[in-house]
Amino acid sequence: MAAATVAVLALTAAAGCSGSSLDDSTAKTDNVITIGLIWPKTEPYKSLGDDMAEGWDLYLALHGGKLGGHTITTVTADEGNDEATARNSARKLLDADKADVLVGTASAVPSVAIAPEVTKRKVPFIGTGGRPSTLADISYVWHTSWLSRETGAAVAPYLAQTVKGPVYAIGPDYQGGKDQMGGFTDAFAKAGGKLANPDGATAWTPFPGTKDYKPFLAKVRSSGAKAVYCFYAGGDAVQFVKDYRDSGLGNIPLYGAGFLTEGDALTAEAGTADGIYTVLNYAPTVPGSANAAFVQDFQAKYSKAPTLYNVTAWDAALLLDQAIAAAGPAPTGASINAAIAKIGQLNSPRGLWRFNANHEPDDQFFLRQVKFDGRARGNVVITTLNPQS
Amino acid sequence: MSTLASYAVTALGGLAYGLLLFVLAAGLALIVGVMNVMNLAHGASYLAGTYLAYLLTDGTLASLGIAVLAGITVAGLGGAALSVLMRPLKGHTEQAVVTLGLGFIAAWIFTRVSGGTTLVPPRPAILDGHLSVAGHGYPVYHLSFIAVAAMLAAAMHAILHHSLTGIRLRAAVDDPQMADATGLSAARIRTAALAVGTVLAVTAGVLGAPVLSPGPGVDSTVLTLSLIVLILAGPGVRIRNLLIAAISVGMIQTLGVITFPTLASFSLLLAVIAALIIRGRHGLQAVATA
Repeated sequence: MAAATVAVLALTAAAGCSGSSLDDSTAKTDNVITIGLIWPKTEPYKSLGDDMAEGWDLYLALHGGKLGGHTITTVTADEGNDEATARNSARKLLDADKADVLVGTASAVPSVAIAPEVTKRKVPFIGTGGRPSTLADISYVWHTSWLSRETGAAVAPYLAQTVKGPVYAIGPDYQGGKDQMGGFTDAFAKAGGKLANPDGATAWTPFPGTKDYKPFLAKVRSSGAKAVYCFYAGGDAVQFVKDYRDSGLGNIPLYGAGFLTEGDALTAEAGTADGIYTVLNYAPTVPGSANAAFVQDFQAKYSKAPTLYNVTAWDAALLLDQAIAAAGPAPTGASINAAIAKIGQLNSPRGLWRFNANHEPDDQFFLRQVKFDGRARGNVVITTLNPQS
Repeated sequence: MSTLASYAVTALGGLAYGLLLFVLAAGLALIVGVMNVMNLAHGASYLAGTYLAYLLTDGTLASLGIAVLAGITVAGLGGAALSVLMRPLKGHTEQAVVTLGLGFIAAWIFTRVSGGTTLVPPRPAILDGHLSVAGHGYPVYHLSFIAVAAMLAAAMHAILHHSLTGIRLRAAVDDPQMADATGLSAARIRTAALAVGTVLAVTAGVLGAPVLSPGPGVDSTVLTLSLIVLILAGPGVRIRNLLIAAISVGMIQTLGVITFPTLASFSLLLAVIAALIIRGRHGLQAVATA
């Protein structure tokens, strides 16, 4: 009996030893890279996260599941709709799954919770959604997407020039919304534009949880606005656009950050979105061979037109493909991060871009309009805007 | 004029929301009154109705009619089944926990099946669009909803106060033992109350889907608001009190957010606390006899 116990213990110990040494050797010879993905599985931004996962999956599928010559293991976790969920997911991916890189977030706010976690552990975080202005230390933070203040700032001078009269500003009351709208109103004032809002400031709607925007929209007509500029995304965008039509504001042009009519939101809005102008750094009709190939591959796999959310995640994979290849024979979080800093231009579907000093793309923004050609409804590029950084 | 019109349009929104809550709260009042327990699956019943509307309506009035009939059938059977399930549970807390659990499970399944996004059910084509007054629009569907819900309130008042069924029901609510002694089957009335209460919640969901669209969290929102209406309306199934309470809550939820935007998230609870304290001081008598 005792002998048997000793034998079992010895076996277990041997198995344990060989197991751990096997793990080590696997890491050194095959160099499997673990990438943690954090996208929302919760409203209001769930559809954004689903789109991002598609873009990521497409890149990996077209590249044999490898980035930079190394096999990739992905582990996913929920972004939720609050900072705590995203922070816990990041910690779980970093500590339990030993992720070498984190990719993710649809909402801007969680990047603030994730940034200190990755920086402490010297693991790069590739953001695919907005980045709030409150994020200070970006040494391990890179965004293939946009800065929250950037979208509105890109279209503000255009609206100040073309709209003959004051513009009504309205957005959701949280950090992401404040950055999006603040970026617009500051650049708009600088360009000589005048807000129609009676108190000269953006009208805020409670976030999350506003189910009816009509009470807020009832104030637009009496403000004398000649146009409205807003920021809403996901399920909120669908409700806002529907309520805008129901409020009889159809003859006041609606402008918004591109998220208003992007992806699943546009599908759900259907005809209520026709004619809406939005600003974003992508549209499926962007010229260039990289976009043409991307759109073709994307449609072959998913039978629909791609969105910016597909592209930011695709670009995250494209970036990591090059960075991991340049990070030495046994890439670590720190060496991948150092390699990202040296990456030159990326041949993205939205055009060639490189990181600027803010660790985010130096790219073009487009003014787009929702059009229905009798078969499909999409965001069509009207003009190219010059981004204001 | 224009500001006045903007408030008028918002007040219409408050009326529509209030009447939606009225139909829900009346159903809950029936269940609470007869069973003497909170049916915490009531919000999930509303959600079920909104998803039925999303699945079955295609922009025609006929499809909306089919959705309403399907809702009534599903809700009637569901309510009766719930009554059977509740029978062995004697304590109020047990019943509350079981219904809350069932509500959570149902809501989780809806979220799973629908993909967890906010869905927009199509409105019947002839009720689509909006009426404009002084540049302020209001959807025709919402106006029709107000009319239908108002008629429902009138019908419920007539049934509860002027028909034999209603009198029996109120008897069973007010004094179950006495009603039992006079030969009314309390068990049968209880099953009927649960079925009718659930039918009201699901119908509110089918017709109210374009007013308050299906999505995650909608079940707890409407459950909380119906409970608030119930508490404000006081004990028993009194249509007038329920109507006043529901419309007040609807008005605070819509007019409140534009009048005091910074208080938006808790203006309703401030009003409820104030109303309950004032009522507490004046005694329950005044409200109960109102």
